[in-house]
Amino acid sequence: MVTVTIDGHEVQIAEGTNIVEAALKAGIEVPTYCYHPGLSVVGQCRICFVEIEDQPRLVTACSTPVAEGMSVLTASERVNEARAAVMEFLLENHPLDCPVCDQAGECYLQDYSFEHGLDTTHMVDERRTFPGFERRLIGPHVVQNQNRCIQCTRCIRFTEEISGTGDLTMKSRGNHSYIDTFNGEPYDNPWSACAADVCPVGALTVKEFRFRARVWHLEETPSVCPGCSIGCNVDLGHFKGVVYRFVPRHNAEINGWWMCDYGRFLAESLNARDIEQPARTGDQGAAEMSWSEAIDEITRLLSSDSEVQVVASPNLPNEALFLAKKVFADHLGVRVLTPVYRGENRRMKNGQRQWIANVDSHPNSTGARLIGLPIGDQDALTTMLGSSTGPLVVLDNHAHPWLQTEAAAEMLKGRPVIALGRTHTPLSRQASVLLPLASWAETDGTYTSSTGRVQLAQRGLFPKAGAKPASEALLLLAARLGLEIDPGLSPRALFEELAAEVPAFAGMTYRRLAGEPGVPALGLEEVAHVG
Amino acid sequence: MEPILLRARDEANSRSISTYLRLGGYGALKKALIMDPSAIREEVKNAGLRGRGGAGFPAGVKWGFVPQDSPKPKYLICNADESEPGTFKDREIIHVDPHMLIEGIIIASYAISANTAYIYIRGEFVEEAEILERAIAEAYKKKYLGRNILTTGYDLDVFVHRGAGAYICGEETALIESIEGKRGLPRLKPPFPAVVGVFGCPTVVNNVETLACVPHIIERGAAWFASIGRPRNTGPKLFCVSGHVNRPGVYELPLGVTFREIIEEHCGGMRDGKALKAFIPGGSSAPVLPADKIDTAADFDAVAEAGSMLGSGGLIVMDETVDMVWALENLLTFYAHESCGQCTPCREGSDWALDIVRRIRRGHGRPADIETLQRISRYASQGMTICPLGDAFCGPIASFLNHFGHEFKAYINAAAPMPEKKLPVLPVRSGRGTFGL
Repeated sequence: MVTVTIDGHEVQIAEGTNIVEAALKAGIEVPTYCYHPGLSVVGQCRICFVEIEDQPRLVTACSTPVAEGMSVLTASERVNEARAAVMEFLLENHPLDCPVCDQAGECYLQDYSFEHGLDTTHMVDERRTFPGFERRLIGPHVVQNQNRCIQCTRCIRFTEEISGTGDLTMKSRGNHSYIDTFNGEPYDNPWSACAADVCPVGALTVKEFRFRARVWHLEETPSVCPGCSIGCNVDLGHFKGVVYRFVPRHNAEINGWWMCDYGRFLAESLNARDIEQPARTGDQGAAEMSWSEAIDEITRLLSSDSEVQVVASPNLPNEALFLAKKVFADHLGVRVLTPVYRGENRRMKNGQRQWIANVDSHPNSTGARLIGLPIGDQDALTTMLGSSTGPLVVLDNHAHPWLQTEAAAEMLKGRPVIALGRTHTPLSRQASVLLPLASWAETDGTYTSSTGRVQLAQRGLFPKAGAKPASEALLLLAARLGLEIDPGLSPRALFEELAAEVPAFAGMTYRRLAGEPGVPALGLEEVAHVG
Repeated sequence: MEPILLRARDEANSRSISTYLRLGGYGALKKALIMDPSAIREEVKNAGLRGRGGAGFPAGVKWGFVPQDSPKPKYLICNADESEPGTFKDREIIHVDPHMLIEGIIIASYAISANTAYIYIRGEFVEEAEILERAIAEAYKKKYLGRNILTTGYDLDVFVHRGAGAYICGEETALIESIEGKRGLPRLKPPFPAVVGVFGCPTVVNNVETLACVPHIIERGAAWFASIGRPRNTGPKLFCVSGHVNRPGVYELPLGVTFREIIEEHCGGMRDGKALKAFIPGGSSAPVLPADKIDTAADFDAVAEAGSMLGSGGLIVMDETVDMVWALENLLTFYAHESCGQCTPCREGSDWALDIVRRIRRGHGRPADIETLQRISRYASQGMTICPLGDAFCGPIASFLNHFGHEFKAYINAAAPMPEKKLPVLPVRSGRGTFGL
């Protein structure tokens, strides 16, 4: 540790840290374009100049490590002049098309121009342009506008150092250098949209999000990606009840600063909703009913003589799975199975640039296992379903890919099925009782990643129409079945009960999970180092 | 002064190893290989040999920066990328006496304990690369290169690496990147190449002329070398004179000779008897000096004091007919083309300055342009950029404006107004919504 003074604030920080990070620790933001904490340091945008006392020249904060006793000035007159000059150089050829630029609002050129730039320009000549590169789809998800590029090479370094695919490169030289794909191939890798995330300006934007919303309208709620068991941390961008996007949220232990395209583009699918009210499907066709009528109906079905079975879902949060175990396995003593699908191979690089591979395709199968719900694959699922003709509870109609098929609906034909769901599957269309399930964005809950990190995904929106989160539905049912549990328990309180009962979650609270980047579940230390 | 570096200029077949041996070549090598490497470094330090590539940094001191206890292999790179406009001395050495360079490379490599040396030669030097290849082959045959040189147990391999013709690759870290097979972009310093150079190993990069001086220092001693020139500016120097003189060419003269002597005595005076207007003393990136500085001594310190730099010794002479606005435009065209584009001030500034100067010359200058040019030259130089290319185009801008600002002003005063862009006229809405105005 060394002690440095930054604008008069003393900071204790590890030796070798650069001045940008040291200043951040002192609560001072040094502007940066080419510097990104997750990428190598190139020191080429020159906006991060700071003055070190007793040194004749300004230094770039990103490439200068702190030294004991160093005294840094981040806002001296010389620094401000140099920054204004660099800002002017950067804007000299920038098209300044902010009103029609989709980066507006989260553009570092705008921010730092406002903060450090001149209020005028000396530029009267024609600006440099790259004809043909103004609106170029360089891959399935990324749109390039080279006129806006400031040649910071963050995107190139992302493909070289993080995705390891090296598909972007700088071509030509000097003021005419431009970003292009290697060999002219499409820019396509599993994390391709991250190149647009790291782009500090509007040169690279995400095709799917372009012009869908203005970012200053978006509210960002910290959440977790529902895509697979890795559990990348995301910010859920939403406005007036509509989800617009996921952007990665930094978590050094899991996803670093990145996320994969598959997960990212799940965001808008969270807006889909077919099932709006509880309904019964009988001989007279589907008929809506109220939640209390539905719970009455479910209670009646569950009191059937033949064997009741429950399909839990590894997509549901720990709270719902905990309740499912309490209600079905412990109270009713019926068979519960959590089907887990292991079909897709996804990878993610964490903040230490180590690969984490996913274990399965569900965000919370580890949680189901820790809570004590039996886990099974498709064979186990079909074997169980084949062994009874009694009522079946499906806690999530998308729990397993097979469950969404016609074959599953065919197999369960005639069986009283109680299903929760958001969008229809063949099975949900023939369910005896159908309950509208709140979406991921409408549910407060915790999820346990494959590396054993328990993570809080907060609710960004209120559930639409009559939908309820699974835990709320189960609480209603538990109360009707006579369990000693308060039906008004919030997910937060429910999680506290869970933490008190299940040793792996001991000592965890929502408050702690919100503050720490993924608390490892106890007893899972060995798993926590997978990858 | 007796010719030293160009002593074989008038010899027939001067490039062959037999001529070189006849003139006493490789004698210094025999002497050096029984010396301690540190003694060689000390000798070169005492000789006061300053780098001939442009910066004038003492070569012996540079060699001393190589960490001798490093377990990594060490490398010597001979910078033959000679791409500074107005400079053509390395080419002359390679043409006249390639073995002198090779002998210097061997001694320098031995002095820093390197077993591999590269000659990075610019792509356009096709013939020169071939000359070097031939000379190296000859040296291998005579056991001056390869395993167990002259049975002293010292090994050295020399490779000729051809660049692709980028000015920036003459900057030592960009050169190193280029040798590694990457884009020639200068690296952030520190670390300096002496510690982390090519392939991450300690590396010394020396100019052709610097290395060619080394055999002479070893053979005739530091005191002899230091006796040539002036204190702190010792030894012979090749001056490449181009422009409006009667006899342009490469002249070998002691450091400290005045520019007047170079131009009037050695180059036969100004062409057509015209008057001298200005001269650039050290390659195109050196600030221009007006005619009244002609009595400046041509050495590193005196030229620096006069407000320019000796650089590579490329003396560009301009007579009274030269339009200085055109001359600056010419220089800036080169720098805008050769800026690598890595860091902001140089990438944007070089092109912007060119746009402005070109516009001034085309008769559309504006009074504010001078200030803008000064602003560019202030903020794209002096450590604002990663490498000295920023200074290389800002020095000319500042010095041209300083000494010949009146020519720019004359252009601007006579200028037609800039062609006005027609702005679309938006219809103004009246009535409701205008708050009763």
